Amino acid sequence: MSIQPTPGPPPGQGRGGDRPPETPEEPPGGAPQREAGPAAPTLRPARPRWRETLSLLAHNPTAAIASVLLLLIVVVAFFDDTLAPQGANEISVADRLQPPSWEHPFGTDDLGRDILSRVILGASVSLRVGFLAVGFALVVGTLIGLLAGYYGRWVDDVLMRFMDMLFAFPAVLLAIAVLAVRGPGSGNTALAIGIVYTPIFARVTRASVLGVREEVYVRASRSVGASDWRILTRHILPNAAPPIIVQTSISLAFAVLAEAALSFLGLGTQPPNPSWGLMLAEGRGFIELAWWLAFFPGMAIFLTVLCFNLLGDGLRDVLDPRQRTQMAGSSRAAATETGGEA
Amino acid sequence: MFALVHLVPGDPVRLALGTRFSQESYDALRERSGLDQPLVEQFFGWTGRALTGDLGVSFRSGETVTSLIAERLPATLTLAFASILVALLIAVPLGTVSALRPRSLVDRVATVISQFGISVPDFWMGIVLILVFAGTLGWLPSGGYVPLTEDPGGWLQRLLMPALVTGVVSGSVITRFVRSSVLEALGADHVRTAQAKGLGTRQVFTWHVLRNALLPLVTVTGVQLAYLLSGVVVVEIVFSWPGLGQLALQAVQARDYPVLQGAILLFALVFLVINLVVDLLYSAIDPRIRR
Amino acid sequence: MTAPVLEVEDLRVRLRTPRGPADVVNGLSYTVGAGETVAVVGESGSGKSVSVLALLGLLPARVATVTGRALLQGEDLLTMPPERLRQVRGPGAGMVFQDPMTSLNPVLTIGRQLVEGIRAHGDVSKQAARSRAADLLREVGLPDPERALDRYPHELSGGMRQRVVIAIALSNSPSLLIADEATTALDVTVQAQIIDLVEKLQAEHGTGVIWITHDLGVVAGIADRVLVMYGGRCVEDGTVDDVLEHPAHPYTRGLLGSLPDLAAPAGPDGEVPELTAIPGLPPPPTDLPPGCVFWPRCPVRADPRCETEQPPLAVVGSSGGALPHRAATWCAEEEVPRG
Repeated sequence: MSIQPTPGPPPGQGRGGDRPPETPEEPPGGAPQREAGPAAPTLRPARPRWRETLSLLAHNPTAAIASVLLLLIVVVAFFDDTLAPQGANEISVADRLQPPSWEHPFGTDDLGRDILSRVILGASVSLRVGFLAVGFALVVGTLIGLLAGYYGRWVDDVLMRFMDMLFAFPAVLLAIAVLAVRGPGSGNTALAIGIVYTPIFARVTRASVLGVREEVYVRASRSVGASDWRILTRHILPNAAPPIIVQTSISLAFAVLAEAALSFLGLGTQPPNPSWGLMLAEGRGFIELAWWLAFFPGMAIFLTVLCFNLLGDGLRDVLDPRQRTQMAGSSRAAATETGGEA
Repeated sequence: MFALVHLVPGDPVRLALGTRFSQESYDALRERSGLDQPLVEQFFGWTGRALTGDLGVSFRSGETVTSLIAERLPATLTLAFASILVALLIAVPLGTVSALRPRSLVDRVATVISQFGISVPDFWMGIVLILVFAGTLGWLPSGGYVPLTEDPGGWLQRLLMPALVTGVVSGSVITRFVRSSVLEALGADHVRTAQAKGLGTRQVFTWHVLRNALLPLVTVTGVQLAYLLSGVVVVEIVFSWPGLGQLALQAVQARDYPVLQGAILLFALVFLVINLVVDLLYSAIDPRIRR
Repeated sequence: MTAPVLEVEDLRVRLRTPRGPADVVNGLSYTVGAGETVAVVGESGSGKSVSVLALLGLLPARVATVTGRALLQGEDLLTMPPERLRQVRGPGAGMVFQDPMTSLNPVLTIGRQLVEGIRAHGDVSKQAARSRAADLLREVGLPDPERALDRYPHELSGGMRQRVVIAIALSNSPSLLIADEATTALDVTVQAQIIDLVEKLQAEHGTGVIWITHDLGVVAGIADRVLVMYGGRCVEDGTVDDVLEHPAHPYTRGLLGSLPDLAAPAGPDGEVPELTAIPGLPPPPTDLPPGCVFWPRCPVRADPRCETEQPPLAVVGSSGGALPHRAATWCAEEEVPRG
C-alpha cells in the first residue's frame, strides 16, 4: 500500500476543530461556530421564528424583566387618564411643593399639581413621541435601505449619500435645527427625532440586504421570474428583520431620551402638557427646595430608557443568527465537536 | 444645513418675527437677511461668504456670527476634551478588567454600570450632581465658566461636574466597546503564538492583546468626541456653561437665524474634521491600512 | 535511540464546559526521541490538539484540569512553576500552529515578533537579536530576509507566514518541535515545501517532532511513528509501517478506508489518499461510552466486551522494529491477519 500527500482536508473536517475553549461559558470566536452546518441552511431564508424568539428571550432574565416592566409602562401610558389620581393641571395652591406623602406619593410641584399624576400622563406623551419618531424612522429608513441595497448602482449612491449627509450632523443638533425651522411642539419633535434616526435604519437594512442579495434562494427566485416587490418582501425583508428589530428597541430608548432632552430645552412638548423632560426643566429651579420635582420624572426617563436598552440587548443575543445557531445547535454541537471545543 | 432649512417647510423670517408683525417689517427683515433673493443666489451668496469666514450678522445683537462663535468655541472644546478624558479613564480600565474576568462579579458590576450610564439622561444626572455637590455638600460651584488663564483652580472646579456627566455617558459606551474588543483580542490565535514563544504574561498582554484591542478604540473615541460636541448642548444649559450649545439654543429661542445657522455649520465642520483626523490617525497606526 | 526528549505518561485533560465536565484526553502515554517524528492522527475533536496545548500549559487554567506526567528532558512540564514553564516555552519546545493567517500578530512587524521571542530567553542586544532573526528567516527559506524583518504579516503569503511561524518556533533551538496541523491550511505544493523544511531542520538540529495532522498522506511522508487518537485515547500506535500497512484497530482501518463495509471503493493498488468518512460522529467527551470508545460507530463489534469493557492498549505484533505495534481493541487477533 502506498500513500501519497494529497490536497486539502477531508470532507466534514472543519478548520480549527481542535481548538480549546477560551472561556467556559462564552464560545471562542473561532471556526467551530461556522461548522454547525445543518442549523444554518443557505437555501432558504431564515425567517424570524417568533415562538422560539420569545422563549429564548424568556430565558434571559434581564431582558424578561425589562419586557415586563416595559409592558407595564405601556399599559400605564395607555390608561393614563384612568390611572392618574388627578388631572395633569389640577392646580391647588394650598398643596404646593408638598414632599412625597400617602396622598401625593411623588409630592406636588410649585403649582400644587400631583407629580405622580403628571409622571403617569407624561408617560403617554413621551412614549407617543418615541413611537411616532421611531415609526417614521423605521418605515422611511427601511424603505430607503431596501431600495438602496437591492437596486444598487446610482439608486444606492444617491440615497446613501443623502443618508450620510444627515448622519454627519450630530443628532441633537439636527433635531434642534429641524425644530428651529418647524417650531416647537410634540409632533415636530417626533418628526425631528424620526429624521435623525432614519439614516441608522437605512444603513442597517442596506447592510442586511447586501448580505442576502446574492444568496442562492434570492437568485433562484429571480430566475423563475418573481417580481422585485415579491423578492423584497418575501425573501429579503425577513432576513433583514432581526437587526432591524434590535435597532428599533435601541432607537426607542434613544427617542425617549431625545424627546426628554428636547423638551428639557424648551423645544419639544410645550407647557402645560406634562412631559418628563419638561417636568425636569420646571423642577430644576426648585432642586434645592424640593428635590422630588426633578427626581421622579428623571427616574421615569431613566427606567424607560434602561428597559428599552436591555430589551434591545436581549433581542440582539437572541436574534443574532450566529448566536442563535449556537444555542439551537447545542445538542448537536456536543456531538460534532469535542464538547468544550464547541 | 442650508439645504435642510429650505427643504423643511417653514419660514424662518415668519418664525423670527413671532406671531404679530407688519408686512413692512417682514419685508424689511427678508431684505436685510437676503431671503428675498432667489434661492440659488442665496445659497451661493451664503456659501461664498461662509468660505471667507463671514457667516452674517446676528438678528438680535448685531454682532458678527463669526465673533460670537469664536467667543464660545474655547469653552465647548474644553468641555468636550475633558469629557473624553474622563470617558477613557473610566472605560479602558473597566472594560479591560471585565474582559479579563468574563462573567465574574467585576464584569457583571461593570456591565450594570455601563448599562446605567448609557440609559441615564445626562441633564438629570447633572441636576442630581448639582443638588448633591453644590447644594447639600457645597463642595463645587453649581455652574459657570472661568478661563483657565484667569483662575486655574476655579476653572477645574467648574469643569469637574459637567465633564463627569458627559464623560460617564460616553465612557459607558466605550467601556462596552473595550470589553468586547479585549475579549476578542484575548481569543486571537496570535496570542497563543506569543505565549508559546515564552513571553511573560505582562508582555503578552501589553503587546499582543491590549495593543491590538485598543487600535480600533481610536475610531470609537473619535466618534464619541463628535457626539460629545453635540451632546454637550444639554449639559451646557444645566451647568450654565457658555459654549456653542448654549449659543445655539439661545439663537433658537431668540429666533436668531444667522447665528443658529453659523453654529450648526461649525458643529458639522468640527464633526467632519474629527472624522478626517480619526481616519488619518487610524491609517497611521494600523499597518494593515497603511500603504 | 538515546534518552527520549519527551515522555508523556497517563496524560488526562478535563475541561469545564457548560454541559458538564468533558474528558477530552484520557490517559495518553507516548515518548518522542531526539530526531524522531511522532505523528498524532485523528479526527477533529479527538483531543489531539488539546493534548499538546496541555503540555505547554496553553490551555486556560480556569477551564482545564491537566493531570499525569510529561517529562521534557527529565523535567515535568505539568508541575513546574509558571516562570519555569515560560522559560521552557521556546528553548525547550517550540510550537507551530495551524493557521498562518492568524497565528502572527497583524500589527507588529515580523522582525519584532521574532526578536521578542529571542530576547525573552537570554540577554541579547537588539542588534544581535535582529541579525539572528534575519539568519532564521534565511534558514527557513524566506527571500530577502533583511527586508522581511520590517514587513507586516499581511504583506506575506500564507506559505511565507508559516515559514515565519516556524522560524519563531525554532528561534531558541528547541529540543522539541510541536506542529499542530501546521500544513492543513496551505496549498499542496507549499505543504510539501514546509514538510521538507521541517525534515531538513530536524536532521540538522536533532529536534524531536510531534506532528499533529489528520492527513495520512503527510504521516506517511514524515513520521517515524504514528499514534492514532480517538475519543481522547490512544487507540493504536506503532511504527509508521506497522500502523499504516497493518492497521489493527477498526477505527484506524476505517480511517485508512480498508474496512470493506466502510470504505469508498479502494483503488486497485489499495492506495488511500486521506481519511475517508466514517459514518457517525465521535462521542461527546461529556458522555463517553463505557466500553471501547469506538463501539457506537464500529462496524465490527466482534467481541461482547466491546460494549462494556474498555480494551487495554496491547501489543498486536511487530514487524521487526524495536517498537511494539499496539492497539486498544478486543477485535485485533481474530480480525487482523498479518500480511
